[in-house]
Amino acid sequence: MTLAIETTGLVKKYGGITALGGVSLSIPSGDCFGLLGPNGAGKTTLIRILTTLLPPSGGSAAIGGFDVVRESGSVRNVIGVVPQAMTSDLDLTGYETLDIYARFYGMPRKERAERIDELLGLVGLKDRARDLIATYSGGMRRRLEIARGLVHKPLILILDEPTIGLDPQSRHVVWELLEKFRSLDSLTILLTTHYMEEAESLCDHVAIIDYGKIVALDTVEGLKKQIPEKDVLEVTVAGIAAERAVEFAGALPTVTRCLARGDVLVASTGNGAEIIPVMVDGLKNLGAKVTRVVLKEQTLEDVFIHYTGRPIREEEAKKVSFLLGAGIPTRFGR
Amino acid sequence: MRLLAFIERDLRKFARNPIVVGVSILMPIIYLVILGNSFQGELKNLPLAVVDKDAGPYARRAMELLRAIESGTRTVRLTVSPDEEAAMRGLRDGAYKAVLVIPPRWSAEIERSTGPELGLFLDNAETISAQTLEAAIARALPEVRTGFVRIRENRAVPALRRVEIYRKIDYDQTLIPGVVIMAIFLGAMMTGAFNLVMDRFLGVDESYFLTPLTKKDMVVGLVASGLIITTTLALVVLFLGALISGIPLWRMLDARSAMLVLAVIMLSTLGIQGLMFLIMGRIGHPRIVGVLGGFLNVIFFFPSGAIYPVESFPAWLKAFAAVNPESYSVHALRSLFFKGAGIAAVRGDIFFLAGFAALTILAGIFAFKRTL
Repeated sequence: MTLAIETTGLVKKYGGITALGGVSLSIPSGDCFGLLGPNGAGKTTLIRILTTLLPPSGGSAAIGGFDVVRESGSVRNVIGVVPQAMTSDLDLTGYETLDIYARFYGMPRKERAERIDELLGLVGLKDRARDLIATYSGGMRRRLEIARGLVHKPLILILDEPTIGLDPQSRHVVWELLEKFRSLDSLTILLTTHYMEEAESLCDHVAIIDYGKIVALDTVEGLKKQIPEKDVLEVTVAGIAAERAVEFAGALPTVTRCLARGDVLVASTGNGAEIIPVMVDGLKNLGAKVTRVVLKEQTLEDVFIHYTGRPIREEEAKKVSFLLGAGIPTRFGR
Repeated sequence: MRLLAFIERDLRKFARNPIVVGVSILMPIIYLVILGNSFQGELKNLPLAVVDKDAGPYARRAMELLRAIESGTRTVRLTVSPDEEAAMRGLRDGAYKAVLVIPPRWSAEIERSTGPELGLFLDNAETISAQTLEAAIARALPEVRTGFVRIRENRAVPALRRVEIYRKIDYDQTLIPGVVIMAIFLGAMMTGAFNLVMDRFLGVDESYFLTPLTKKDMVVGLVASGLIITTTLALVVLFLGALISGIPLWRMLDARSAMLVLAVIMLSTLGIQGLMFLIMGRIGHPRIVGVLGGFLNVIFFFPSGAIYPVESFPAWLKAFAAVNPESYSVHALRSLFFKGAGIAAVRGDIFFLAGFAALTILAGIFAFKRTL
């Protein structure tokens, strides 16, 4: 089995903060691999090291057999990257963008004209190719950036949160595109996401990353099987102390975890449909008034809680200069 | 191919911002028009009130001399006031820049040579006007006792003959080198490293760092596109400035001088582009560039000799002018435009500018961080 991406004990530290704490991964060629985790988990840091944008503080990483530090130039030639933020020049047209990027890779004129034509057709931007990118919608820009990442026919496509900020329709279009390119170009795909649905739809393997460490790695099905709680039950109650309600609900059969968020009891259970009448009747018997019951399937957050024991949190704030605002980021800023 | 593609990217982006192109040309031209018309070199029409309490022959003679200045060099605009109090009030109100009081019996004192004095009350809140008025009146006064015009030259008195070694140059024309340098500075501010700041601000830089573009490709590409744009802007500003101020540059410059002008403009551009890379290489917000722009323009432009001669600066400012690339640009362009100078006269300037450009661009490549 040929490895497209391999990392060994990859570490990245910013001053006293450890963003990556020894990540080891092996991604075979042709695989679609998802890195799943909340904001600030270290996904983007890992991607930036793999794409040569950041030097690691320790460990090693190789892409297509090239070391990301010593052979960064060769790495850049075999990867195509779609960064998290929209990074296309607004003052260029779609065609110009692809043409200029193809020239960065030294593609001859005829070859790049054919490739650009093919890609614009595949991403559905042929009619808008001569328009300025400033006139594109978010979904169109994202499709163009995927085409830009593929213009030089890379072996490995790396996408950092490719559908973040997109509406559901555009998100599905991007997924379809990635499937299409994967089969057409025999690509290895590495993508980061915090959407379970995205990982489920696209990935052969998924790694859950938190606080800079891989906490689980398996196929999507494998990960789900490891979670006994398939359902989440939310019950809004009144007239009873939260502690008492949690104590009661948490003791019910198949309920593995229960906590109170304000006046809402949140219970993880293996069989929500069966437990609803038992829980509602029991709470009423304790003198509580049940005003609302919601049964949901497990979400990414539930999967994440299972593996990490903590809810998904917000990314830590960056610091900026006291004197220059957002002009020059600094560790001594506010 | 990579480098050319990067240059093309910049040129296309700049061409799609015609307002920036327009402002880059307009601002130095406006500067030329406003500065050229407000400073005007020698001061003129300074309002002077004269109060004659003597009415004697020498007072009449003094008035004739002042009227000669009024109609000749036009340094003063004369008002004869019978009321000293009113004249002084006018001085304080700003109606006059000075009041000359000829005291009673002044003519008699001249006759007796008993130290005759005139009272000159100056609005010294405006030092330049005050100094000019005082000098003009002081130059005229010794002639008070001369009652006639000499037909024969007095061979005993040493005479000063003014010989201008170059063609007549008006004040606004002397501003042209400075205006060209200002166009270069503005061009350099809005291209090159500024594009880097904008790319960083918009997050676009990440996508370029992911390609095989090297650090050198990026710095050289940005400097090269900045060079093309800025040189074009500077030449347009030079052409328009020459038209407005009436310098027939196209007749004054032969092919060799024109090439030297082009070389000076390009080297000045490269030097300032390199300097901008050093200063702005790690800035992430265009607001900072805006603040720095005005600041740097003052620092480099005014001590360049474009407005005032470097020789009159205090020692510390002279020392700065000696390392200020704009001083060398102004000197070289002034020599080429007005003195018909050849390579020998500007060789030193060209060497300095070339060295400065090489040094700053190399330092820019070294300082530029090709990672996020």
